[in-house]
Amino acid sequence: MEPEVIEAELVLPTHLNFKRIQMYEKYPKGQSRGRHWKHLKQILQAENYHNYSSDEPNYVNIESPPSMHPCKKICDITGYEAPYYDPRTTLRYANADIFKVIRSLPNEYVQRYLAMRNAAVVLR
Amino acid sequence: MPFVSEIQRQSDFNHFPSTTPIVIDNGASSFRIGWAGESDPRVIFRNIVQRPRHKATGETVTIVGDHDPSLMKYFDCTRSGPRSAFDGNVVYQFENMEYVLDFGFDRLGATGPEIDHPILITECVCNPVQSRSKMAELLFETYGVPSIAYGVDAAFSYMYNQQLGICDKDGLAICPGFTATHVIPFIDGEPLYKGCCRTNIGGYHVTDSLKQLLSLKYPHHMTQFTWEKVEDLKMEHCYIASDYASEAQLFQKGTKEVEEKTRCWQLPWIPPPTEEPPSEEEIARKAAIKEKQGQRLREMAEAKRSSRINELENEVRGLEFLLHQLVQVSEVDIPSFLSETGYVSKQEIESALTKTTQSLRKAKGERKDDQAETEDHTDATNEKFHLINVPDDMLSPEQIKEKRRQLFLKTTSEGRQRAKQKRYEEELERERRSQLDEERRMENPELYLEELYVKYKELSEKVEQRKRIKTNGGHTNGNNLSGVGRGERLNAAQRERMRLLTTAAFDRGKGEDTFGARDEDWQLYKLMSKDNNDDDDEGPDEDEAELVRLSSRLQDIDPTFVLKSDVQPTEVPKFRPLTKEDFQIVMGVERFRCPEILFHPNWIGVDQTGLDEMTGVSLRRLPSYSDDIAERLTNSVLITGGSCLFPGMRERLEAGIRMIRPCGSPIRVVRALDPVLDAWRGASVYAAASQFTTQTFSRMDYYEKGEDWLRRYQLRYSL
Repeated sequence: MEPEVIEAELVLPTHLNFKRIQMYEKYPKGQSRGRHWKHLKQILQAENYHNYSSDEPNYVNIESPPSMHPCKKICDITGYEAPYYDPRTTLRYANADIFKVIRSLPNEYVQRYLAMRNAAVVLR
Repeated sequence: MPFVSEIQRQSDFNHFPSTTPIVIDNGASSFRIGWAGESDPRVIFRNIVQRPRHKATGETVTIVGDHDPSLMKYFDCTRSGPRSAFDGNVVYQFENMEYVLDFGFDRLGATGPEIDHPILITECVCNPVQSRSKMAELLFETYGVPSIAYGVDAAFSYMYNQQLGICDKDGLAICPGFTATHVIPFIDGEPLYKGCCRTNIGGYHVTDSLKQLLSLKYPHHMTQFTWEKVEDLKMEHCYIASDYASEAQLFQKGTKEVEEKTRCWQLPWIPPPTEEPPSEEEIARKAAIKEKQGQRLREMAEAKRSSRINELENEVRGLEFLLHQLVQVSEVDIPSFLSETGYVSKQEIESALTKTTQSLRKAKGERKDDQAETEDHTDATNEKFHLINVPDDMLSPEQIKEKRRQLFLKTTSEGRQRAKQKRYEEELERERRSQLDEERRMENPELYLEELYVKYKELSEKVEQRKRIKTNGGHTNGNNLSGVGRGERLNAAQRERMRLLTTAAFDRGKGEDTFGARDEDWQLYKLMSKDNNDDDDEGPDEDEAELVRLSSRLQDIDPTFVLKSDVQPTEVPKFRPLTKEDFQIVMGVERFRCPEILFHPNWIGVDQTGLDEMTGVSLRRLPSYSDDIAERLTNSVLITGGSCLFPGMRERLEAGIRMIRPCGSPIRVVRALDPVLDAWRGASVYAAASQFTTQTFSRMDYYEKGEDWLRRYQLRYSL
């Protein structure tokens, strides 16, 4: 290790005195462990919230509902108010100049703009 | 406000008695750890883990938090980016969590065999019991912690500010965090999770959308937009517009105000060295080099030519010598004599000789004298074609064959002659015309030039028109010229063919099929069979030739004349040297567009209510809802959490809440004293209180009381 790296104590030591079980004991080297954790979705599924009264607050039912107001439409490129919508790219745009820009955009960029509001075409 | 990271190792760990709790604010963006009763956390760092490879030794190491970027050059981070223990606002990867805790305790100065202090650690609202128990297990088993308490960061912050008199016992805490935003109602200083609501949007999403927008706007500077940099930009420049629509309109109109609101980030840019025009010497030197090279090439060509001539001469001499020798050899011996040379007969040698002499002459640069040859021809014609004038019946079959051949040869040679004659006459005619032209020009040069121009214009238009018709099929609606549909790619004839094919394909089968009853029907196939693109007719060709002649004439006479076709290519954008402006990142609408997603999560595809509406949702969810309670709550709204640092947040929220509340109801929105650190401070105060021990649970409790108890475990904040 370079002296300045040691000086900055950048690297977490592998052995720490205050630990009862060291990291290398818990996850021995060279052993494939696979995935040993669950995603949030799986955690929530395992919680079995449906077995409990819905009056009790839990992680799922405290989520806020969809908005009651209609979604404000803004131009995907500039952020201005967007009265128009391009049926070819499905992008929203504010005026003719931006429409020109949209039509000259390569498809990859169009998809990235759409992905920003989670409307991109996803091929699986 | 830039991101603060304090990772100095503390030395006074052993001075604290084992009853002093350690307080941890385990936020999704940053990890803060310190001692209960103190006013500030001791260690703060970003809650991330990287496991890069050390370049020199090749071993995988663990690096927690943010570090000096200049030191990261010793590590290969390409295969592992920064990782977090959080999914949303829930801890799910306890391996990463362990690294973070290791680092936190290490920097707090822990040395003993275990962490012998009670721990107060924050969690999200309604943390799933799985995450809770895993965390408890980790702390008990690995660190030997005697007891644990879990609390919610926003509640601690509210409590802290309530103690300072900033908000009341009843109120709302609005907490836009890093990955999620919560609204929690408080009654008598206790959070009511029943009335709580969460939208999965926070500072992370703001930074992410800013990063996306900027890299889409400036694709050339994509590498500049690292997460850390964009986070800094967000904290420095983003604000919340009091009314998004009117603010955006302001920018759309581009008024003077806007210029002040637009921020510009100048990337490092070095002006390119200005190229001086090459000096006289330089030009002369270059010309000399060029000349020298030309000379060398010429010399090489000359040498090659002379060597070829030499070779050919040798060959000719050899062949002549061979012929000479042959004369002395008797007829019978010829084959045996020639077997060594590779020739079979005397004729062959002779033809080879003529061939070589011809090529020799060519190499020497003597042109074959055409005139002489033709004269030769005329003389020879009679004897060459001696059979032509003899009637057929006087000839043998063989001779008849010969006669036919001669006839053919004669007609072709005569044809050639005639063509030559015609060319000659044309030449004369052209000369005569140009003579005439010249005379007219001499009479009145200006008029002549004008006439020429008019003629040129007419012709070029005509040719142009023809071309257009050929491609567009005469439908000259202006759209066709600029559009790029598939129709424009075919010319008129091809399109006609496509039309025929499609009508043939779709019209058939309707009603009775009478195709083929009439003979004309079959013409269709002829039309369809090929692209009728024989661009035939001679008339236009003449026009084009005339056009070429005119333009060359004009070029001769008028030095200012520019060919029409030459004009178009100059419109192609030339290479433009990069300027300072190309290295500027301009942030206009983005400054308030990105934070606006907190109010309109729909803009990034999260179908949930925004900050202001959440207040209404939260109030409606209260089990004991009454106007009285709602009024009391909205009279003390506390905003806390990192994302409420945006300027304009308080005003906007106040306006938003006013919209959903009945007219005249009291509304008071206050910002926490320190939206970022108040959660830790509140927790520190709480853990220092003497009743804190009643709220903790020990290892024994954890294993005896079971999961269901842990699920319902909840801290009492008002002690």
